[in-house]
Amino acid sequence: MTKERDDSGISRRRFLKEGALAPFALALAAAGGGTVYLRPGEAHGFVLRPPGAIVARRFLAACVRCGKCAQACPYHSIRLQDRGVGIGTPYIAARHTPCYLCPDLPCVKACPSGALDQKTTEVEKVRMGTAQIVDREGCLSIRGLRCEVCYRQCPLIDQAITLEPRHNPRTGEHTIMEPVVHREKCVGCGVCENACVLPKPVIVVRETVEVQRDSYDF
Amino acid sequence: MGLSRRDFIKACAAAAAFAAAGVTTARPEWAEAAEDGITWGKAPCRYCGVGCSVLVGVKGGRIVSTKGDPAGPVNKGLNCIKGYFLSKALYGKDRLTTPLIRKGNRMVEASWDEALDLIAAQYKKAIAEHGPDSVALYGSGQWTIQEGYVASKLMKGGIGTNNLEPNARLCMASAVVAFMNTFGSDEPMGCYDDLDLGDTYVLWGANMAEAHPVLFSRLIDNKLKHPKVKLIDIATRRTRTTKMADEFIAIKPHGDLAALNAIIHVILRDKLYDEAFVAKHVSFKRGKENAPYGLKDKEAFNETPADVKNLTFEEYKALMKPYTPQWAQKVSGIPAAKIEELARVYGDKSRKVNSLWTMGVNQHSRGVWVNNLIYNLHLLTGKICKPGENPLSLTGQPSACGTAREVGTFAHRLPADMVVMNEAHRKKAAGIWGIPAEKIPAKVGLHTVEMFRAIDRGELKCVWIQCTNPFQSLPNLNRVRKAAQSRKAFIVVSDIYPTRSTELADVVLPSASWVEKEGVFGNTERRTQQWFKMVNAPGKAREDVWQLIEFAKRMGHGALFPYPEKGMHRAIFEEYRKFTLGTGKDLAPYGVYAKVRGLRWPVKANGTETRWRYTEADDEHVAKGEGIKFYKAPNNKVSVWFRPYEPPAEVPDRNYPFWFCTGRLLEHWHTGTMTGRVPELRRAVSQATVELHPEDAKRLGIRNRDQVRITSRRGSIVLTAEIGGRGTPERGSVFTTFFDEKKLVNEICIDAFDPLSKEPDFKKCAVKVQKA
Repeated sequence: MTKERDDSGISRRRFLKEGALAPFALALAAAGGGTVYLRPGEAHGFVLRPPGAIVARRFLAACVRCGKCAQACPYHSIRLQDRGVGIGTPYIAARHTPCYLCPDLPCVKACPSGALDQKTTEVEKVRMGTAQIVDREGCLSIRGLRCEVCYRQCPLIDQAITLEPRHNPRTGEHTIMEPVVHREKCVGCGVCENACVLPKPVIVVRETVEVQRDSYDF
Repeated sequence: MGLSRRDFIKACAAAAAFAAAGVTTARPEWAEAAEDGITWGKAPCRYCGVGCSVLVGVKGGRIVSTKGDPAGPVNKGLNCIKGYFLSKALYGKDRLTTPLIRKGNRMVEASWDEALDLIAAQYKKAIAEHGPDSVALYGSGQWTIQEGYVASKLMKGGIGTNNLEPNARLCMASAVVAFMNTFGSDEPMGCYDDLDLGDTYVLWGANMAEAHPVLFSRLIDNKLKHPKVKLIDIATRRTRTTKMADEFIAIKPHGDLAALNAIIHVILRDKLYDEAFVAKHVSFKRGKENAPYGLKDKEAFNETPADVKNLTFEEYKALMKPYTPQWAQKVSGIPAAKIEELARVYGDKSRKVNSLWTMGVNQHSRGVWVNNLIYNLHLLTGKICKPGENPLSLTGQPSACGTAREVGTFAHRLPADMVVMNEAHRKKAAGIWGIPAEKIPAKVGLHTVEMFRAIDRGELKCVWIQCTNPFQSLPNLNRVRKAAQSRKAFIVVSDIYPTRSTELADVVLPSASWVEKEGVFGNTERRTQQWFKMVNAPGKAREDVWQLIEFAKRMGHGALFPYPEKGMHRAIFEEYRKFTLGTGKDLAPYGVYAKVRGLRWPVKANGTETRWRYTEADDEHVAKGEGIKFYKAPNNKVSVWFRPYEPPAEVPDRNYPFWFCTGRLLEHWHTGTMTGRVPELRRAVSQATVELHPEDAKRLGIRNRDQVRITSRRGSIVLTAEIGGRGTPERGSVFTTFFDEKKLVNEICIDAFDPLSKEPDFKKCAVKVQKA
């Protein structure tokens, strides 16, 4: 089993307990916020932020590392980073505990800094990221097995993920029921990534790719 | 040496083909191949009644891999997600490995001799003081055929009581009674091939997408290939099946009884029936009505031949007159126009119509009646016993058919459709068992619900539970759990893990599971599948057959089981097979099953299987030129029963305003004792939730993932709400699953049962729903 992604965060309790860390983090944020040299820290990968998080390049500057969103989360889905330039900032390790999309978004309400956009009120409009099947050949459903766990666990079932049935030529008499993610509906909560039964999830939340506008209408 | 997996699969497919053609090949019986030191063998899947074949890879005495068997005719190499993780079901950390005996509140490790001696002493004491009907054995549709057969012979032929029941009473009993009173022989006339060949499929309250995953994928493929194929889902809840169906028809709980009668009314009114078929094959009957619901202890109800009235077709038509679509609309919630449309679907001569159903119909306080009415549709329209045109009762356990039904481990049954009440049947059984006929009691034993009520009443002194988990799966669970907790009976539980049943036992016995022993299962489509032992059971765990035979020896019935240690399973099967020969349920010799991926009985004299029963096209018990012949029914005529509408046992009222329904989901199986040990499946679905209609939820101020308290007259439980997820019940209904051992949802369920099949209704009772 491979190591789980981004699962090295300190617990909220520990972070709050070790109070000495907080001023340090705040100082760091104040000192380094928005500076150019911070950017490469994020380049190696995407960090899944809580609902309503503003765009990544402004988030580090806006977040005051107060941990209030983590405190507000009833599922302890929100953790605080314990290293790197993002130290003290909130993130979600979906494979460990995904975001369960509380209808009243308590984490957003708790944010004092605007790092989580207060205008976010509807869970369907949240865009933390977008789920993607990153290993089609590994996906059990695409291999014809009746798995589709990601689809059935998806809080926006039949919207964010749909099943697209097609004939299975290998057996000649069964159906491949392929889970397909729809980026215009997927909120990036990570429930699918959490539920995937393979040791290394084949469906993961990644950065939302902006819809490219063109003149082709269908 | 050693074959590659590919060669192995090829060779097996060839062997299957040869065996099917009646050619015997000189292959070693335990066909194997080695690749990277992994030895592969075949076995049917341990879980549901679909009967997928899997390849089991063994290395160093341990299962290292399982995969769908490409040569398996049912699944062709596929599995559902439970089947994918099959091996892990055996390797949970808390496997039971040694017998345990209760000392006060502690369970103390014991030797097999101590445990078995204690059980035998308790059974002997109870029999001496209270007679043989004070002891019981409660088994399972997950027993192998050999286990069920030994259990039946021991209880009915040895100890002399019919207190033997399988958990299949909770799942297939209604289907069994309807098969018997309609066709005179249990189990379907059709098979899975109908899913490929038909063009219209009506699902009566069955969530096939989750409960029969691989089969559903086969059905949908037919739909993808043929645009004419239509899938109509009639249910009280929108499910994953609904999503793939062409049409969803919402029906009120218990409304099926009204809707089916109204469809028949229209078929008769508009002369959509097949006159010639009806004249040749059908007799009309009316049974006993105003039936009770079994809520009182010892409430007896039987439909004896004296209660049955024969009707003419005209009399039957007259009786069906009042069941108009307008009347049914009120009772079932299906618009009258839709009922007319359904009647025309069934009556359409250009359509090959199949009906499919499982627990929605069987777990029903009038389950036998609903089964009868579905058969009526097919018998009146003549859409039966033809390829691609049949009613098919789906099963939920791997050997509900093979063991519970064919071997007959029910309180009233003997192998091959025989019953204890019939003297000739007892004589035949006694002859094969080598015992005097009077040894087998004619009195029907306690059915499942009564068996556990009898513990509460203090009438049943000893019960041995094997391979099932009744203290989670029975209805009105509080009553039976309290009875067990107050130690009203001596309870033995054989299982592979600690369960909600082992926690109440006086003796816990560690069992071998699946490929830790040799066995045979029988699936929905009459397919008998065999496997060999591939790995040893952990610790001191022993298979259930061994446990029963060792117990029999201590009870003085060892002579009934003179099987050699080597080849025991073959010997048991061959003895059982004698019951089936010449009955239309004929099985093949054991050696054949060792080679093939199962055969559908009746197996013909030339060794080939039968796909469609009762038709000259395929069934060798029907002579050429006879067309269709229901040779197991009296006078070769099947029964169309008049079955009126009668209300359910409990309906929502002011205090308990919601319907409550329970069922399955894809990731877990039954009470979750096996799938709950698979970390991946637990990660996927970790707990039971309660599904609500979004409007009901809004009205009650309940939001997704809120805690919700469900209360019935029998119990109360808190569950997490799931709104807009995989299933959405109709307004006024809530639904939950029963796999979660931390949530004993059956405490809510009513112990009303069908008066004919004695199968409890897990699908309907009245509850109140509150935000917790």
